[in-house]
Formats: sequence, structure tokens, C-alpha cells
Amino acid sequence: MSPEGMDLELVEAARRGSASAFARLVERHQQALRAFLRRTCGNWAQADDLAQETFLAAWERIGKLEAGASVRAWLCGIGYNKHLTALRSAGRSRAREAAYEVEKPPSSGAMTDERLTLEAALSELPPDQRACVALCLAADFSHAEAAEALGLPLGTVKSHVTRGRQRLLEALGGSDDGR
Amino acid sequence: MTDADLRLKALFAEDEPPARDPAFSTAVMEELARRRFAADIALLAILAVGCGFALWLVWPRLAPLMPTLSQGLAPLGACATLAVAAVMLLDGRIPVLRRNHG
Repeated sequence: MSPEGMDLELVEAARRGSASAFARLVERHQQALRAFLRRTCGNWAQADDLAQETFLAAWERIGKLEAGASVRAWLCGIGYNKHLTALRSAGRSRAREAAYEVEKPPSSGAMTDERLTLEAALSELPPDQRACVALCLAADFSHAEAAEALGLPLGTVKSHVTRGRQRLLEALGGSDDGR
Repeated sequence: MTDADLRLKALFAEDEPPARDPAFSTAVMEELARRRFAADIALLAILAVGCGFALWLVWPRLAPLMPTLSQGLAPLGACATLAVAAVMLLDGRIPVLRRNHG
């Protein structure tokens, strides 16, 4: 069975109230969602909290998921909205930025200089641009999928990805060798 | 995909969470169960208060009838109580209270 077919079955079962089917959906999509939120937030602990909140919201809203829609994109969309809500809280935003500066993201291994440079460059991108980069450059979303997940116009997503990519490559000291 | 894109992708891949993370999945499902339990308790509390209020309203009319009604209704009430208890024990939840998530 294809991953999409499996998702469809699990979503149907979860709609009927099956917590075990929803647990399978969590297992299948936690990696993609947490990776996206880590790249978007910069703070790994907060990203994991947002991912948990996203899954809890998804359980409540699973009846609204359109038939055939990508579960991964839907979850990233919910997660992104939760991230924006957190960002709009000025106090929390300031606290997060301060925490980001003093607290390196936890990692199982030592971070390379390049990786640290990428983190720093990523943190300087505007939230929309950062989310587009996280989806399209890191998670292999198409521009259309990212536009749907983030609720942004397709042209805006393309422009964010191009500019974000350019800024990251500049920070890494690499050349843009065309697309 | 260009070399620059591959380089970015490789760097992004360094912070990828594990494909399977039982601790995270368990934490999500535990929180979900806790919220469902709290919602069930809240619903049952509202029902109990509502039923109590309704009983308080009808009690003045019901009280004079109780001596005669109790004779005939006692066996029926006992059976209904046992049936409800059996349903709760066997099914875990009362079907009419089951929330619709669709």
C-alpha cells in the first residue's frame, strides 16, 4: 500500500474515533513535522511543544481534513499557524530570541561550523521566508504544496524560496550555481 | 537539483529528528488521553448538575407520587441500573456520550 493510501485509511479510522489509528499517524509524521518546526522556530524544545500541540489540534480537526489532502502538509500548516500565534505574543517572542542566542539547539553530535552558520542565517530570515525554505529546500515540498500548507500565494512562496536560498548560500560562502 | 541545493539539504538533514521516536509519540497520546478524560469528566459533571437541577424542579410534583410509583418502578430501576453498569464495564464508555470527532 502506498504511504498516501495508508494515511487515508488511518485518517478514516481516526475520524471514527480510533486513537490507535491516530497514534500511527503521529508515528508516521512526527519526524517531518518536528523537523519543519525546528527549522522554523530555531528552538528545539519549543518546536517539540508546538508539534505536540499540533497533533492535539489535528485530532480535534481531523474531520475537516479534505479527502485526498496530504496529511503531512496539513500538519505542517497547523504547526505553522501555531508558531505564528506564538510569535505574535511579543513577550514570548523576545524570550525566544534571547533563549535562541544563549541556548544552542540540542544535538546528538557536535555541530559543524557550516551547520552553525546555517542556523544563524536561518534565524535572520523573516518567518514566512523561513517556513518556505524549511518546506521546499529541506523537506522536498513542491512550491504548490508549501503554498497550500502555509496559506500563501504560490508566487510568494517561489519568491521566498529563491530569496531565502540566496541568503543562506551567501551566509555559507557558497556560490549560487543556478537552478 | 544543483550542488548548492544538495549542500543545503545535507546541512538541514543534520537536525532531522529520528524516524521513530516512541517517547514523543507516547507523550502526544498520553496528553490526548488526558484531555479526552477531562472532557468526559466535564460532560458527565454537566449532565449530573443538569439532571440534579431538573429533579429539583419536578420534585414538588414528584414527591407525592413517590410512595405509589416506587412500588412499581423499583424493580425496573434496579434492572436499568444493572444494565447501564454492565454497558459501562463492557464497553468502557457509554455510547450516547461518545464524542463525534468527524
